[in-house]
Amino acid sequence: MVTLDERPQLIDALSALRDRVAAVRLPLPLPDVPRARQTRAELLAQLDDYLVPRLKDPDAPLLAVVGGSTGAGKSTLVNSLVGRRVSEAGVLRPTTRTPVLVCHPEDHHWFAGLRVLPQLTRVWLPQTDDEHPAAEVPDSEDNALRVETAATLPRGLALLDAPDIDSLVVENRLLAAELMCAADIWVMVTTASRYADAVPWHLLRTAKEYDATLVTVLDRVPHQVVGEVSRQYGALLDKAGLGDVPRFTVPELPESTGGGSGLLPESAVAALRGWLAHRAEDPAARQQAVSRTASGVIDSLDARLPELAGAVAAQYAASVRLTGAVEAAYRGQGARVRKELGKGAVLAGDARARWRAYPRDSSAEELLDALTESLAALLHCAVSAAEEGIREVHRREPAAAALRTVPAGADREVAERIGLEVRRWRRVLEELAEEEVRGVEKPAGRGAARAALPDAETVAGLLAASHHGGRRARPAGERLAELLGAQAALRLRDKGGDLVLTHVDRVLHAERDRRLAPLDALGVTPEPQAELIAALSVLQKEK
Amino acid sequence: MAEKPQEKEDRERWADGLIARRAAERAVPEEPAVVEGEEAEDTGGFGGSYGSGLRTRLDALHELVGLSRTRVESEALAEAGRVLDEAAARQRLSSRHTVVALAGATGSGKSTLFNALAGVSVSETGLRRPTTSAPLALTWSEGAAGLLDRLGVPGRLRRRPLAGGAADAELQSLVLIDLPDHDSAVTAHRDQVDRALGLVDAVIWVVDPEKYADAALHERYLRPLAGHAEVTFVVLNQVDRLGTEAAELVLDDLRRLLDEDGMALGEHGEPGATVLPVSALTGEGVPELRELLARFVQERTAPERRIAADIDAAAARLRPAYVADARTGLGERSREEFAGRLAVAVGAQAAGEAAERVWRRGAIRACGSPWLRLHRWYGRLRAHGSTDPRLASPVEDELTARQRVEQAVRIVADEASHGLPAPWAQAVREAATRGAEGLPEALDELAAGLGDPAARPPRPAWWPAAVLAQALMTLLQLFGALWLVGQIVGFVEPGLLVPVLVMVGGIAGGPLIEWACESAVKGPARRYGQEAERKLAEAAAACGRARVLDPVSAELLRYREVREQYAKVAGPRPSPRIVGEGGRGGGRGRGGAPRLGATRAGARVR
Repeated sequence: MVTLDERPQLIDALSALRDRVAAVRLPLPLPDVPRARQTRAELLAQLDDYLVPRLKDPDAPLLAVVGGSTGAGKSTLVNSLVGRRVSEAGVLRPTTRTPVLVCHPEDHHWFAGLRVLPQLTRVWLPQTDDEHPAAEVPDSEDNALRVETAATLPRGLALLDAPDIDSLVVENRLLAAELMCAADIWVMVTTASRYADAVPWHLLRTAKEYDATLVTVLDRVPHQVVGEVSRQYGALLDKAGLGDVPRFTVPELPESTGGGSGLLPESAVAALRGWLAHRAEDPAARQQAVSRTASGVIDSLDARLPELAGAVAAQYAASVRLTGAVEAAYRGQGARVRKELGKGAVLAGDARARWRAYPRDSSAEELLDALTESLAALLHCAVSAAEEGIREVHRREPAAAALRTVPAGADREVAERIGLEVRRWRRVLEELAEEEVRGVEKPAGRGAARAALPDAETVAGLLAASHHGGRRARPAGERLAELLGAQAALRLRDKGGDLVLTHVDRVLHAERDRRLAPLDALGVTPEPQAELIAALSVLQKEK
Repeated sequence: MAEKPQEKEDRERWADGLIARRAAERAVPEEPAVVEGEEAEDTGGFGGSYGSGLRTRLDALHELVGLSRTRVESEALAEAGRVLDEAAARQRLSSRHTVVALAGATGSGKSTLFNALAGVSVSETGLRRPTTSAPLALTWSEGAAGLLDRLGVPGRLRRRPLAGGAADAELQSLVLIDLPDHDSAVTAHRDQVDRALGLVDAVIWVVDPEKYADAALHERYLRPLAGHAEVTFVVLNQVDRLGTEAAELVLDDLRRLLDEDGMALGEHGEPGATVLPVSALTGEGVPELRELLARFVQERTAPERRIAADIDAAAARLRPAYVADARTGLGERSREEFAGRLAVAVGAQAAGEAAERVWRRGAIRACGSPWLRLHRWYGRLRAHGSTDPRLASPVEDELTARQRVEQAVRIVADEASHGLPAPWAQAVREAATRGAEGLPEALDELAAGLGDPAARPPRPAWWPAAVLAQALMTLLQLFGALWLVGQIVGFVEPGLLVPVLVMVGGIAGGPLIEWACESAVKGPARRYGQEAERKLAEAAAACGRARVLDPVSAELLRYREVREQYAKVAGPRPSPRIVGEGGRGGGRGRGGAPRLGATRAGARVR
């Protein structure tokens, strides 16, 4: 059990853990992400709003958060406890939109700063008297917390009137949850007609799970049925294992619906106020109330952090899967392109017609043009096929929604990029051929080479045909050997073959990297999971 | 926070659209319903048929489900099937009766109101929460046994009002069901409510001043059922707990919330949900409710309206699977581009050019002077060596560029499926891929079948004449030369002019004829080449059309048919509110905003 002494190591461990939790990013839209995000937000809220400030300042006032369903009479209850209308109550639901915190004037400094609930802006109002009730205050900005002071409250106790836990306004619901997380004492308010509702019971079960200091108030009970309803409620609590939770019953009075002063008579809330005051004033009771909630929350981390870590790991796994799908698709297409090149698929269609007509009816340049185009078509087809495969895999992968950024006209851009690269290949090939021809010209002057001085274009065309034609273009190789000599031709063909493969790989790799860029930009790594678990084990040691 | 896991689970369940029908499979009546004397009437066929408008929509929905079962796999389709089943089941039962359910949160006073409407205490009321744990039925007249069997209300829970109900003549055809709560910790109750809500004709939502804004009610029920506004009543019970002024305020706030839920309000004579305050305890407002119900059940349109609303909801959920967000279909341009790509794949242009050149070369060679031909042959020999590169060509397979065919099919499939809803786009793509399977081989065969146009070009009619003329010129040259030689030898009489002229004529005439032939051959050669190109391209296009475009078009046609059926299902009144329903908050918000103002104004007028 956590004591109220200052524990620097524990605080350090918690701060480290908090930073790890804050650093968690869940960019891929997996099915469990909304839940993990909520877990993260809750953990942060609980660490920032409650655990760290509580352990740092064990002497800070107790914060009792009053929560419950719509229309349970939370605001009326807070007003009655304070003895003044600090929070507006009314018949329209939901009433409380801006949470109100009430404390003793001397405790004000604890709450004026950003010690607890740092994300809520403080709204400070001048002391209002009963003739000018606070209800006139306009609904100010969102994310505000009104801090009120009242000398009627005992020192060392603060009350917080939270929005409905089952509000139709989602933000209110979330805010209520966050506020409950910041509480030392959870005050659950329910009513005679609501005590069997499902939603408040969820909250009660959660309180039990966290082992928080809990007190329930059965509000708005008609006089004639107090005994029976109270008994039934008690039975339900017993059944849920919450039989030892302090229970208070407040009868329904005209004041409950805004009649009269809007405040319940002193007698109706005296027991509850007494209980709360006892927690605040008696050191032993206070110690017990605070440390029970605190250690409950710390214990709950054991279960909740691994859950978050699991979600982080799932992110990484999804990222690996997505990357793997892209890489596999391009690898597969790369292999296919090599196979097709070997089979002579480039020397088909137009290129084949040119090749058949060469050299009598088509020039080497035309042949080279056709081959260049054909190669570009092969690569474009491979890229499209890879993209199609990736789309197919990603359709079944929910996380892929984060990457769907293929803009219109992308296909044309791909074609342009491929065209550029293939033209570059052609230029290098032509340079290679030119070099080779120059080399041949020098020793020329005797023997077979004298028969013809090959021009560079012919050599380039034959070379390209011999690479792309497979078996079909064997004559091209023979002819090349005839022109340049067997050895030179062989050397040239090897060089040219490497050249083609280099450029093919370059195209496919560039496209693959473009595809992976958005995923890389998300920066999903396995480290956060390990760090979370490590921070948790440090905390467990310190506990 | 804390209660989150459960709360979230709840929210997910709330968001599942017409939850009400989820439990339909479990619809087994607890008891076989032995209520004497009623079966006979029931089997006598009180079940009426629906109006023609609704029947058309139901038939269309039936057709739609049948047509798309192989294409669309979705929860929504199963949902539509359930709507059909329920519609059919309701039709078989009494059309004389209208089943109205009282639903609401625990402690809102459903049972008290039930008793107030019955005029006798038939449903147990109490403080114990939750009170009612099984649906209870109240019938004013005979003949509703079938309906209650369908709802699974056992015989022991069927009640009659005071004096057998004969007193309330106007409520004769009402069947009132008291449902358990929907929001208590006893989840079995919620399941019962969900099930019953899918089967009743109309619902009275009973809310109270404390719970009227509960998220459980609005998010889980009223929002998904917003389309059912016409068969919905919302009753603010326990108004006796509020002052008159407060009651008005709460009522207005309730209207505002309903409006935000997307539920149309039946104000100023418009169709929509009815909102009214009652107090079951004091009886305030109960006569009004009775009167309203009497009018409602006497119209006898509730079952139809309910089914229509169900179809609306099902259609809204099916919408993404049927309605395209862009113009669909395969344009003429796409078809032409496809044909063009196939032509490139078979190499039509290059083949045509080759044919043209071969033809021209052959012609010029045939008509050229022998000397020139000798010279060209020598030049070629020097340039390319002795071997003809084509001589050793091995057997050719895969004449067609596979990658180009694949790409062409991919592009045309993409264009055809552009903007189609996902399942249909997939079907179109599959049709294209299936068609493309044998396409390259077919194109190979085609190219081989047409033959190489460059192999054996035809000879034009004037060729022999040209060749003859060229030969004549050569003869003239030789003749002139011989004549000159003869003069030199002295064999022939000297006379320089004539033989020289003859020889010069021969020498000049040869190239002249060759040149004339060359220019004469240009046009026909180009025509020949173009003809060859066109033939090949057309054959390829025809092949592609038969194998790829036609199946794709058939698939598109099928989609269009289904789309028409869907339009029939969606009905003649496309309601933006219903479209926005089903969890898409944006649409609802947009639809709700202007009406919100109107409602407030309306409230003020009142």
